[in-house]
Amino acid sequence: MNQHLLIKICFRQSRSHPLRTLLLIIGIAMGVAGVIAIDIAKTSVSKSFDLSTAAITSETTHQVVGSNFNIPQSVFTDLRTRLGIHRSAPVISTHITVMELKNATLTLMGIDPFSEMGLRNLTVRSRSGTTGKDLSGLLTHASGVLLSQAMASQYGLNQNDTITLSFGDRQVQTVISGFLDSRDGATNAIFQGLILADISLAQEILGMGDDITRIDLILTDAAMAEQIVKRLPDGVILVETRRQNRIVRELSRSFETSLTAFSMLALFMGIFLIYNTVSFSITQRRKLNGTLRALGATRKTLFWTVLAEVMIYALVGSASGILLGILLGKGAVHAVCSTVSDMYFVLTVSQTHITVPTLLKGFFAGIFSCFAASVFPAITAARTLPITLMQRSASESALKKYLPLFTLTGMVIIGAAVFMLNFFTRQPGVDFIGVFMIFFGSALLAPMVILLFVRGLLALFKKSWGSMTKMALRNITRSLSRTSVLIASLMVATSVYIGIDIMTSSFRCSVIDWVDSHIGGDIHVSSSDTLKRGLSPRLVADIQALPEVAGISVYNIHRIFSRTSGEVHIFSYITDLSTKKWSWTAADETQLTALLDQGWIFVSEIFAQRNRIEAKMGASVIIDTQTGPVSFRIAGIFRDFFMGGGRVIVNRKLMKQYWGYDDITSLQVFLHTPKTVAPVIERINAFVPESANVKVVSGATIKKGILDVFDKTFLITSALQILTAIVALTGILNSVMALLLERTRELGILRACGAETGQVGRLLLLECGFSGFISGVMALPLGGCLAWVLIDIVNRRSFGWTYDMVTSPKIFLGAVTLSSAAAIVAGIFPAVRAGRTDIGSALHME
Amino acid sequence: MDILLSHISKTYDDNKNKRVVFRDMTAKFTSGLFCVIIGKSGVGKSSLLNLISGIDIPDKGIIQIGDAGVSDMTDTQRTIFRRKHIGFIYQFFNLIPVLTVLENVTLICELDGLSKKRYLDRANSFLKQVGLFDRRNDYPDTLSGGEQQRVAIVRSLVNDPDILLADEPTGNLDVKTGRAILEMISDLAKKNGKTLIMATHSLEAIDYADAVLSVVNQTLVPLSKEQIHP
Ligand SMILES: Nc1ncnc2c1ncn2[C@@H]1O[C@H](COP(=O)(O)OP(=O)(O)O)[C@@H](O)[C@H]1O
Ligand SMILES: [Mg+2]
Repeated sequence: MNQHLLIKICFRQSRSHPLRTLLLIIGIAMGVAGVIAIDIAKTSVSKSFDLSTAAITSETTHQVVGSNFNIPQSVFTDLRTRLGIHRSAPVISTHITVMELKNATLTLMGIDPFSEMGLRNLTVRSRSGTTGKDLSGLLTHASGVLLSQAMASQYGLNQNDTITLSFGDRQVQTVISGFLDSRDGATNAIFQGLILADISLAQEILGMGDDITRIDLILTDAAMAEQIVKRLPDGVILVETRRQNRIVRELSRSFETSLTAFSMLALFMGIFLIYNTVSFSITQRRKLNGTLRALGATRKTLFWTVLAEVMIYALVGSASGILLGILLGKGAVHAVCSTVSDMYFVLTVSQTHITVPTLLKGFFAGIFSCFAASVFPAITAARTLPITLMQRSASESALKKYLPLFTLTGMVIIGAAVFMLNFFTRQPGVDFIGVFMIFFGSALLAPMVILLFVRGLLALFKKSWGSMTKMALRNITRSLSRTSVLIASLMVATSVYIGIDIMTSSFRCSVIDWVDSHIGGDIHVSSSDTLKRGLSPRLVADIQALPEVAGISVYNIHRIFSRTSGEVHIFSYITDLSTKKWSWTAADETQLTALLDQGWIFVSEIFAQRNRIEAKMGASVIIDTQTGPVSFRIAGIFRDFFMGGGRVIVNRKLMKQYWGYDDITSLQVFLHTPKTVAPVIERINAFVPESANVKVVSGATIKKGILDVFDKTFLITSALQILTAIVALTGILNSVMALLLERTRELGILRACGAETGQVGRLLLLECGFSGFISGVMALPLGGCLAWVLIDIVNRRSFGWTYDMVTSPKIFLGAVTLSSAAAIVAGIFPAVRAGRTDIGSALHME
Repeated sequence: MDILLSHISKTYDDNKNKRVVFRDMTAKFTSGLFCVIIGKSGVGKSSLLNLISGIDIPDKGIIQIGDAGVSDMTDTQRTIFRRKHIGFIYQFFNLIPVLTVLENVTLICELDGLSKKRYLDRANSFLKQVGLFDRRNDYPDTLSGGEQQRVAIVRSLVNDPDILLADEPTGNLDVKTGRAILEMISDLAKKNGKTLIMATHSLEAIDYADAVLSVVNQTLVPLSKEQIHP
């Protein structure tokens, strides 16, 4: 038989069922779109990280930095004049916001144009288009800054326009003296996050006096480096640029890892659901294929016909999925970038970055799962004797025959995955292969579990259930080859839902706990001045004297530079009323204060992870201080959810000795009763002179702020959850429609026997509900396992923080309800159609 | 209950191809009699039975069963009427594969919301009469064709309908089994006082029938025995 004719027959059939064909394509498209959207979000965020951190350190090999992020400009002069290092340049680099750019955060980079000449090759064009114009020429303007050309035209800014830069409480107006514009696209992308100013202007804007942030150097021999180290004053450090960039970049990797995790989940789900959709629509052709075989179509032609047809739908579906995915992805990027800037890391550039690999990944996920879903039915279509093909029961009995094999394979795969997860978690990527294996294994177990489940239910309720209920249940096992695919994919979707739910709610619980105990306090008092951060001791005494006040935590907090983890917050307490959650302690918790007084230190989990501190007796860490590197013994590691390089707590004496601070920067005020927060804030404000820039906020405000950021962080996961639900719904709708078609005759009999429209509809909904319920129940252990992987492996490895897995019956109950409800909702339309079955034609078709 | 069909017209629209099955057809089936309807395949025998049972409705005309005007009822009313008053037997048995023999048999009563007490004994006694009581917990696909049709017969009788409709009940069976089934249907119908209308293209049923009708030129015409056995 001729292939053209076969294909024509197949397409005729699709054309006569436009709804089914549409659903199939939508099903594939949704799966692909999910994969692509999350992947776009991920790659875009990575790219934004790259651009925001890359800055223009390009050629430099070393940097000189201060242990508290500032160094005197004299260090630079010294290096130049005494050591004669000409390939060196002083740099100031800080994040500022620009009002005229809708308060976008940019990096203000102060440079010395003359020093730059020997170091960086900044190709700059002025507005008039004269390329290669001298950088120094542009920056000599008394208060002029350079802005990226693209940014300026985006916001309609011209040369000599005034822009307002904000830094902490300071606001400074400057004039745009020119534009940064390079022929090179990559450089231009970096420029987008940058404002360039003369170094003295930057010092003025930031109120830094004669200090600079760092010195960039190009050194060619190690001897020179040694010489420099010898000359540097205490508290000033020479670091390798490459290494430093890597550390900064690593901070953001954690976020990317978790996004990768989600993109993998989206991929799994996409594959499962596409498989489901396609396998359903292809088995509908069973009878047609049987007839064609009987009429003399050869095995080979039939195989290729089936495959060709599905692949055409796969192409159409994947292509539309790509478009949809790009749209969704753009939305996701925006949400994710703003989250990242809020919580982890200031992103000065946010770009939607659509890469070819992303599109290919989505496309092949679509094609591959369609292929996988159709190749088996295509083979059976070609292999089996025509007569058995015409009966559906043939494939069912085949499944029953392979059931033990499926079950055994499933168990072996799950076992291997569990083994892998337990012993090979060090290698990144292994965990998600493990998760996929568990998903896959569980999918193989599905038919057996469904069978046992249904049999169990039937045995349990044999007496009390009517024939219609039994029918609904037995229908599930009767088309097991089909329903198990449906139930397995719904199970995967539900377990992703559960896993994310458990992860977010556990995380939220721990964050709330941390805010309440570690940050704590009813009122927070701190300086809002970025330069003079000390609070007057008088203020402390005044607050202490208030009758409403039960106690105050008095401490200072400063930023210090760490070679190993970048920016670290260091604390020293005069009085400490907070409680910490310890993940490890060197001694009994009651002894910790004593150890601290003896010069031991506490570090946060993140700091411990970045510095590879092993939680065991004798742990110590080397930290750069003003007097050079010092080794500290670690008394405890505490749980902390601030991002960045981590936190360190030292005693007051060490703080003064090694970092030179003995001020008070922050207070946590605890009241006898929280009712008096507002009046006490008022009274504290009254103590503070107008000029002192003291910020007084309630603990509740701070908590809300942190939780808001937290909730925003999980926007992407919520998006994934919603996506899960949508994709699952389309998947089920598809399958139920397909099952319905197969049942037409049976529904006709029921109606002929006197079943009312509603009774037939209810039967179908019951079937859907049971399927959803079984999926939900099967998803429980799977979702729990996924949550465990997300919390204990992905999060710990990528962020370095731990939190306790909090599961509540509510989550599980919710998941089972959700999957049942989703299945029922998806069943409504088919059920209504089932009720409307035209009995005459249903029985007529034979 | 007498069945009265007056001035029935029925046309099927099948993708623009109109097919007139009945045109101004009038007929009457007297209560308690066994009527056989013969005719070639595709003349409209099944359509006629579907009209009587309310599975389908006529384009024009009135169908009256006893006092009830079936053609004027809503779909739900017709369904409930069918459930209570009409039993159906098909060529392809049409048992529900996932229900056991007993469950298949009692399904209609259950749909009707009857209590188990009221129909279980009846169902079992019918199953005994057709010799399938021992197999009541088996699934239909383990039964032979003849046995399946016997289950279908019991199903059609168990809710005690007034009318039995049989659409080529022997069409899918071998001659010997077919004859046994035929005998069983007519026997049970007579014994229980049912009106039996059977569509068939085999002539054997005629021997058992009280009257024979044929679909000719889109209407129903009575045949005398001489016309059939020339
Ligand atoms: N539901 C229907 N839709 C369209 N055409 C139908 C339908 N039912 C029957 N027909 C047509 O009506 C005619 C009579 O069919 P049917 O009553 O099944 O004949 P019989 O039972 O005598 O073989 C046939 O030509 C058939 O194609
Ligand atoms: Mg017929």
